[in-house]
Amino acid sequence: MAVTLSTFSDQLADAVEHGAKSVVSVHARPRLPSTGVHWRDGVIVTTEATVRRDDGITVTLPDGRRIPAQLKGRDPGTDLAVLGIPTGQLPAATFGDPTALRPGHLVLALGRTGDSGPRAAFGAVSATGGKWRSWKGGEIDLWIQSDLTIYPGLGGGPLVSPDATILGINSGGLSRPLATTIPVSTVERVITQLLTKGYVARGWLGAAMQPVHGGLVVLSVEPDGPAALAGLMVGDVITSLDGHAVEHPDQVLDLLVGDIVGRTLKVELIRGGKQVRADLLVGERPRRTR
Amino acid sequence: MSTPGYEASAWVKDCVVEVHQGAGVGSGLTWAFDVVVTNAHVARAGKVQVRLPDGNIRDAWVRFADRERDIAVLDVPRLGLPAVRRRDPADLRPGEVLFAIGHPLGVRHAMSSGILHAVGPLPDGYPIPAQLRRLPWVQADLRLAPGNSGGPIADAEGRVVGMSTMIVGGLALAVPITAVEALVHARAA
Repeated sequence: MAVTLSTFSDQLADAVEHGAKSVVSVHARPRLPSTGVHWRDGVIVTTEATVRRDDGITVTLPDGRRIPAQLKGRDPGTDLAVLGIPTGQLPAATFGDPTALRPGHLVLALGRTGDSGPRAAFGAVSATGGKWRSWKGGEIDLWIQSDLTIYPGLGGGPLVSPDATILGINSGGLSRPLATTIPVSTVERVITQLLTKGYVARGWLGAAMQPVHGGLVVLSVEPDGPAALAGLMVGDVITSLDGHAVEHPDQVLDLLVGDIVGRTLKVELIRGGKQVRADLLVGERPRRTR
Repeated sequence: MSTPGYEASAWVKDCVVEVHQGAGVGSGLTWAFDVVVTNAHVARAGKVQVRLPDGNIRDAWVRFADRERDIAVLDVPRLGLPAVRRRDPADLRPGEVLFAIGHPLGVRHAMSSGILHAVGPLPDGYPIPAQLRRLPWVQADLRLAPGNSGGPIADAEGRVVGMSTMIVGGLALAVPITAVEALVHARAA
């Protein structure tokens, strides 16, 4: 069958209709609601920046019912927040594979504001890439940028492929002016931590360093921090961490993401011209109070 | 019936005119024998000039207008163009392909394409006065510019669903074609 504009149009409208079955409206800020995705049964994901209060949050379901939701946790680093609702209210999202996206692929952004029907935007993937760190410090598994317009209220909504599968959560705040999508795998990782701890623990060494020839020189050590407890001193030159040669602080930051808190890292360093080894127990970065 | 996109846009294009009043240029669409509709902010009052797709110029007169809904109905003697085909925007689904034809920034008969965002009033929080926000709109995720005003937004088969009227927060807002029908029927009697 020849693909005509009408059949293509119907396919897009079908994708919106199916994708929107797990898309809710989130009332967690004054005036304009944001969008959320029913990610697992009883679990709503939205963007952290749109959740402006911790209590009195409600969501409007696709059938128009407005029900209370509880904030389960938030991670400003990846701009994700998780809300809990009673189970069995609506279908959970169906996921696609965002690693298969290439520039030029057609995509939709969905939203819901209040008790109206779904809202949709259409565009193309403009750039893809590997792992990156947001300006707020969160690690995101894939770089997905599109030319979609994230209209007011669409933040926190899903990126949807024309086959109606959800590829991630659209964030208006992580990168401007193009829309950025937090891929499914990152959302999974973050909500698992948010549901168990209420926040995302990030590794912490308690030492400041800068590159020198052959390694990283320690510039300061936090009293009673992990580096201090391991015996590290100002002026030490760290040459290797966890078996990897280190030459730039980014390599250390890359090591401190994921499930790292509580692990012991082997440190090799040069102190006064001599090679020294130390065991460094990774701590949890102190959390700023909001 | 299914049509390739260029055919659908070609049909609509034959129904789109330029509306000149003073230094301003807007778009208009052919409605019926010797009748063109456009935005009230494009044809403010009295006499205007209409440029047809073949380049001919016709004098036209504002027969009546609804300033609140931003609709003006023009008498255009010797118009000689087909009337647009129409579709009730209430039947549209979000995601359907739409396209706009007009004269954005003076570029004649330019087409832009996108999809239906939603139909109805705008959500609270859009930068627009409340009395305008609460009106029903055909909201489209497609690019408009000054000069599109009064021109059609049509579906994948070239049926007009709305009249391009304004841009709010990047979103294209069109007066539902059913609102134009209602005004014409009420006033033509």
